[in-house]
Amino acid sequence: MSRTPIVRVEEVHKFFVRGSEQVDVLNGLNLTVPEGEFLALMGPSGSGKTTLLNLIAGLDRPTTGEVWVGRELVSKMNETQLARWRTRHVGFIFQFYHLLGVLSAFENVEMPLLLLPLSAAERRRRVTTALELVGLKNRMRHRPGQLSGGQQQRVGIARAIVTDPTLIVADEPTGDLDARSAEEILDLLEELQASLDKTIILVTHDARAAERAHRVLHLDKGRLASEERRTASLARSASEGA
Amino acid sequence: MKFVFLILKNLRRNLLRTVLTALGTVVLVFVVTLVWSVLSFLDDVTSEKSTNLKAIVTERWQIPSQMPFAYAATLADGAARKSGDVHPIDSMTWQFFGGTLDPKSRTRENLVFAIAMQPRKMITMMDELDRLTGDDAAEMERILRLMESNRRGIVIGRERLAAIDKRVGERIVLHGLNYKDINLEFDIVGTFSVPRYDQTAVMNREYLNEALDEYARTHRGEKHPMVQKTLNLVWVRVPDQQSYSRVAEQIMSSPYYSMPAVKVETESSGVSAFLESYRDLIWGMRWLLSPAILVTLSLIISNAISISVRERRLEMAVLKVLGFLPRHIMLLVLGEAVLVGTLAGLASATGTYYVVNDCLGGLKFPIAFFPAFFIPRAAIGWGLTIGLTTSLLGSIVPAWGARTVRVSDVFAKVA
Repeated sequence: MSRTPIVRVEEVHKFFVRGSEQVDVLNGLNLTVPEGEFLALMGPSGSGKTTLLNLIAGLDRPTTGEVWVGRELVSKMNETQLARWRTRHVGFIFQFYHLLGVLSAFENVEMPLLLLPLSAAERRRRVTTALELVGLKNRMRHRPGQLSGGQQQRVGIARAIVTDPTLIVADEPTGDLDARSAEEILDLLEELQASLDKTIILVTHDARAAERAHRVLHLDKGRLASEERRTASLARSASEGA
Repeated sequence: MKFVFLILKNLRRNLLRTVLTALGTVVLVFVVTLVWSVLSFLDDVTSEKSTNLKAIVTERWQIPSQMPFAYAATLADGAARKSGDVHPIDSMTWQFFGGTLDPKSRTRENLVFAIAMQPRKMITMMDELDRLTGDDAAEMERILRLMESNRRGIVIGRERLAAIDKRVGERIVLHGLNYKDINLEFDIVGTFSVPRYDQTAVMNREYLNEALDEYARTHRGEKHPMVQKTLNLVWVRVPDQQSYSRVAEQIMSSPYYSMPAVKVETESSGVSAFLESYRDLIWGMRWLLSPAILVTLSLIISNAISISVRERRLEMAVLKVLGFLPRHIMLLVLGEAVLVGTLAGLASATGTYYVVNDCLGGLKFPIAFFPAFFIPRAAIGWGLTIGLTTSLLGSIVPAWGARTVRVSDVFAKVA
């Protein structure tokens, strides 16, 4: 069954200028991500996977080419449009969680909702639901410093899903966690993808994390080097085997 | 509201830095408030009024002014000679009598400087005494009656009374300093409720003039050497500038006042002339000290906010990733600075107002003939404005830096 593409990357080039030198990061890359897919991007350092993730998430703009998310041409938006678009359509999960240390778990998760026209009661309802989904309802009042790494990442995931975004992007979400916590986070992402039918794009160096994805793309020198398609059941059994 | 909450949370992040920044603001706003209180008072007394203004008549070519008392009656009437001439609304004469309690050991503590005048003119012509109300007005009326019924009555300011270690009801003898061999015995009948006159004393002019007459009787008809020089100032009150010009013209053109000649000036220009010797000090306070303090205050706030922004670049990038617009980030940074600056400025000025006025009895900054300066109520507004403006100016550059944080740059450095 083919599903509607939610992300389309068309002939994208991205280069940076470092001193007098031009560094090509992405070279005419094309990519389509169907709605509800769990996609993993892998590749060596400098292969362009994080840059590609940033372009899809609207954190950066390509030098040439187009990036579409849903019906929006993200690559042509200005900074203000991108910020507004990100609030509603993209949930971010960071390697180092990047929670605000002065705020409680509840307040951290509430942050993106402050930018939306929601009542306090509605914000509270959404935050509580998101924290419940990640299993941290009983840790709402704790600050990041009072939580373990795995728990902090769960708060980060709750913050990413609280706006009910079109797309969840995760940059090495298990890179700073021990093996057990990493497994728990991957289980959680998988569950969220299955239960909420969210599109997840995951950048990782970790083969075990990539095994959870429906599809794994390998990048090398800014190009798509290979593609590995896994069925949902295969991905699940891989995770169970692990 | 949530933004304010976030700002407060951020300020608590490094409480020591926030408290030190606030303390710096409090101290500098305190100094500016004191300086501006003095300048504001001097500006007020030297600014020309358009209605109900007072003119001062003094000797033209000599300081201190010493005119014959014979001038008093006609000057008090604005030298009006013919019908159609303008008569002042009110007037008062000042004769200065300085004396010491102990002629053998003259010290600052045993000196009393008294203005000899018609007692009742205190409540019609003297600044602030002419606006007394309630108990203060009743007490002043009681004092006036005592001075009118007893020419030896003297009213002495609170601080001067404390300095000479006397109380109301006691009797003192002042040995004349500017009137040699004129020693006057006084009954202290009261004190001033207005702090402005804390160092001043007022006596009945009739008592001084009688003492000078008595001098001739006790010195074989020989007049006192000061007898033709006893009138120091004449004040006349006129309704407007036009009346002032007419009265000034009447006095200046009068043939009565030729030996010595007199001059007329408004109260404000008279005070300005008196303040001329303080010109450099006042200029320095206005144009060097105040701006230097305001710039220092801005730099303190700017430094604290810059450090805070530098430490939180990553956090600001995260906020941008979450969808916060550059202006949101800028507002958060400005908000932190403005909140600290404004609250500290307001607290400082309010504290200064109550501490200086109510606890210290004014700022003892002896400039010209003003013994103490008081913090005007408007100073509370100054504190708020200074805090707000300097914090805003000081935080613009760091806030702009926070606004322009590039998300991809920050994450590239983290990776």
